[in-house]
Amino acid sequence: MSLLNNILIVIVTLIAAPIVGGILSGLDRKITARMQNRMGPPVLQPFYDFFKLFGKERITVNQTQMVYVLGYLLFAATSLVMLVLKQDLLMLVFVLTFSNLSLVIGAMSVRSPYSKIGAQREIIQMLAYEPVLLLMTVGIYLLTKSFMIESIFVYDQPLLFKLPLVFLAFLYVLTIKLRKSPFDFSTSHHGHQELVKGLTTEFSGPQLAIIEMTHWIDLVLLLGMVSLFFAQPLWVGILIALAAYFLELVIDNISARVTWRWMIKVTWLIGIGAALTNIVWLYARMK
Amino acid sequence: METYLLLAIAILLPVFCAGLCFVFKGKTSRSVIVVTAALILATNAAMLVSKLLAAGGKLTLGLESPIIDVNLIVELLDLALLIYIIYIGFSLRKPLISTLAVLQLIPVVLFEMFGSVKEPASAFVIDYLSLVMILLISIIGPIIMVYAIGYMHEHEEHLHLKKSKQPRFFIIIFIFLGAMNGLVITNNLMWMYFFWEVTTLCSFLLISHDKTEEAIKNGVRALWINMLGGVAFAVGIIMIYNATGTIAINELVSMKPAAAFAGLLPIGLGLLCFAGFTKSAQFPFQSWLLGAMVAPTPVSGLLHSSTMVKAGVYLVVRFAPAFAGTILGTIVAVVGGFTFLAGSALAVSQRNAKRVLAYSTIANLGLIICCAGIGTNVALGAAILLIIFHAVSKGLLFLCVGTIEHGIGSRDIEDMQGLMKKMPFTTVITVLGMVSMLLPPFGVLITKWLAIEAAVHMPLVLLFIIMGSAFTVFFWAKWIGIILTMSYKTKYPREKLRASIKVSLTILIVIVMAASILIVPLFNTFVAPQLAASGLGDANTLTTSTSGLWLSNGGSTFMGGFASIGFFIILFAVVMTIPFYLIRTKPERIKPPYMGGEHVRDDIRGIEFIGPGDKRESVVVHNYYFKNILGEENLTLWVNLAAAAIILVMFGVVI
Repeated sequence: MSLLNNILIVIVTLIAAPIVGGILSGLDRKITARMQNRMGPPVLQPFYDFFKLFGKERITVNQTQMVYVLGYLLFAATSLVMLVLKQDLLMLVFVLTFSNLSLVIGAMSVRSPYSKIGAQREIIQMLAYEPVLLLMTVGIYLLTKSFMIESIFVYDQPLLFKLPLVFLAFLYVLTIKLRKSPFDFSTSHHGHQELVKGLTTEFSGPQLAIIEMTHWIDLVLLLGMVSLFFAQPLWVGILIALAAYFLELVIDNISARVTWRWMIKVTWLIGIGAALTNIVWLYARMK
Repeated sequence: METYLLLAIAILLPVFCAGLCFVFKGKTSRSVIVVTAALILATNAAMLVSKLLAAGGKLTLGLESPIIDVNLIVELLDLALLIYIIYIGFSLRKPLISTLAVLQLIPVVLFEMFGSVKEPASAFVIDYLSLVMILLISIIGPIIMVYAIGYMHEHEEHLHLKKSKQPRFFIIIFIFLGAMNGLVITNNLMWMYFFWEVTTLCSFLLISHDKTEEAIKNGVRALWINMLGGVAFAVGIIMIYNATGTIAINELVSMKPAAAFAGLLPIGLGLLCFAGFTKSAQFPFQSWLLGAMVAPTPVSGLLHSSTMVKAGVYLVVRFAPAFAGTILGTIVAVVGGFTFLAGSALAVSQRNAKRVLAYSTIANLGLIICCAGIGTNVALGAAILLIIFHAVSKGLLFLCVGTIEHGIGSRDIEDMQGLMKKMPFTTVITVLGMVSMLLPPFGVLITKWLAIEAAVHMPLVLLFIIMGSAFTVFFWAKWIGIILTMSYKTKYPREKLRASIKVSLTILIVIVMAASILIVPLFNTFVAPQLAASGLGDANTLTTSTSGLWLSNGGSTFMGGFASIGFFIILFAVVMTIPFYLIRTKPERIKPPYMGGEHVRDDIRGIEFIGPGDKRESVVVHNYYFKNILGEENLTLWVNLAAAAIILVMFGVVI
């Protein structure tokens, strides 16, 4: 693959990802509304919100908040680029962590109890899901003998057949990563939780717009990772990813928020447990 | 001949400077001695580098025409040292210490005086691993001493001492550095043991330097735990000699484990690893390193970065090829991995900045030992790289915390909110130092990535590393968030720091950044040839491109990797926006945070607000510490028991 080709892929991705992500979250709002017997906003509503936020007055609590927001955006974009260029999956997980941390530290940089507690909860979420993501990469390594995403595409069968438990663990973690109910306690789409808006309480205007856009990029990235589990042919993987997203919406609408204690206990027990079981059985078969 | 001179400078110049400090007790003359020694030692290390590169990676030196019998001198010094420790045990009324010293004295005397020990043909062997250690000791060590010039002055002001104890302080540190250099250069296991005991004694003297009750108590604890390791070391040497008939380190390491791993050799190597565990404060021996922070900050900086604890991991990494792929290696990996997890988890519950750093050191040393135990090419590469990156970053962080402590009068993390307002210079450097410990593209994270890739075939070790790494992110992120908490200020004060402190912090942060940015040449020059020479025959190898480090299968296909330079460019772009926003943000656009009520005063933002019923409410924000889950009271006992059990299993299987 030539360099020019790669550059082209990167540019297309960086333009397309926010658009696709925005439309997906528009669909999210529409479908959620229908589930709740409402009409719901138009599908393009997230974009209207985005431009409205961007045009707002540039208010800030301290001078550095925007820097953290940019770090959040740029490193999320970097991990997406790593995905489309089929780079090292383990490093991708680390970069994704970096991007999230940037937002967390931005939220902690203001002296607001709401935003600080939201940030702490977000770190606890990371504590819960990061081991599962790392175990997922290890499971994939055991099959493909490589950490490069490229090798998934040359592996002779879909990963899903060999890593069903890892896949389920990843779906579980997806709910946490997307901050959907029952794990929406660091911030939620409804501005009336006990922490006001949690993590994002003190971001406003263009800052909030960029955070929204990064959420869309994150969404595309995560669904892309879901589709890795069925990479040949990829369109099946994409369908699976979309189905997974629909499943997340259903879960979001039928469940109530839990406490973080419950989350960390269950995620470690079931998430890590399932992923590890899968890995141990792969390991035993290799012997 | 020139090489002899360089080696002599590395070991004896610090000792000579210690003598100078004893003679010239004035503050100015001491500063001159320290700075001169720092420059000479750094130059000396650089010359050794060029010498070693010219010699193709290995310098072997014998003592063919000795004017004096160096071996005898070392033996006599060794005896004197042990007798002095026995004396310390008596004068402090600690029979345990005297007993442990006698337990070393007897085997050493029997072995050296009455056995006919075949001395190694080459007394000194320097390869890239030694060279890395020499560079760390001769560069980071002296920088910390330069810092200590300013720090100790303030320290003694705080204590209101009538008579300065600084000469003693600097004398011990100089001897310490000389002993560390000796330890990593020598090829004779008995000499290494001698230097090992010197570092034990020096650390005791430094920890108890302030002579308070607590300082002496913690010093004694450090002494007896490390003496325990010393006993293991001495007995281990005798067993290894019995099994193999040599105490030459290079011969021992190059033995093929599969053929020779029988008889007393495994248990001897196990005892050496045990000695390494005590010195590197692996669980259950971590308490001495935690207690060591009663000493003045430069001591912590030294113990945690380039000296003392690194001697332990050096020993294990040095002997890693000798037990690679054996059951001993596997259990060493489990010990290290367990310490990595337990140390990281305990760090989450700590509010004391120095304790967080100490647990993080213990955890990272655990990871180094874990990698050495895994014993593949990639794992060993990770271990050596982590020794480098951890030494520079941790040295810097300890000095930063010391500076902050003198600045705000507290080492509680919660008190560091709004540090930017008081100490902008230190804050920026501290944050960079912390970021270098956990985020891509910095070196420490790259080694964590390598460790995971290396541990793939050991599910238990893998689980330890993965869980530990999640905790690591947790406690660093909390701390960084606290330090960076800031409210709006139009102008930042210029921070007043002593020149020696400012200079040493600046040099260290430059080294930290340079080491991570230049990881490719660093790896190619020092680590890759060491791995090639270690003769570990597994298929996966580390290679480099211009942009970063890659893992490949026999050089043909990439299995993973990472263009770290690209990340630095993005990171640099993000950082560059900071001055832009600092300048561009107008005061009228700054608003106080939302409090659910009106602010009492608009100029002090987010401190007090009017709550329901017109009551004044003050805003308290602090981090989660999970004291009742991850606190020391709950975890330490169980963790120690588990770690002790793993070590017992280790001896159980090798006997």
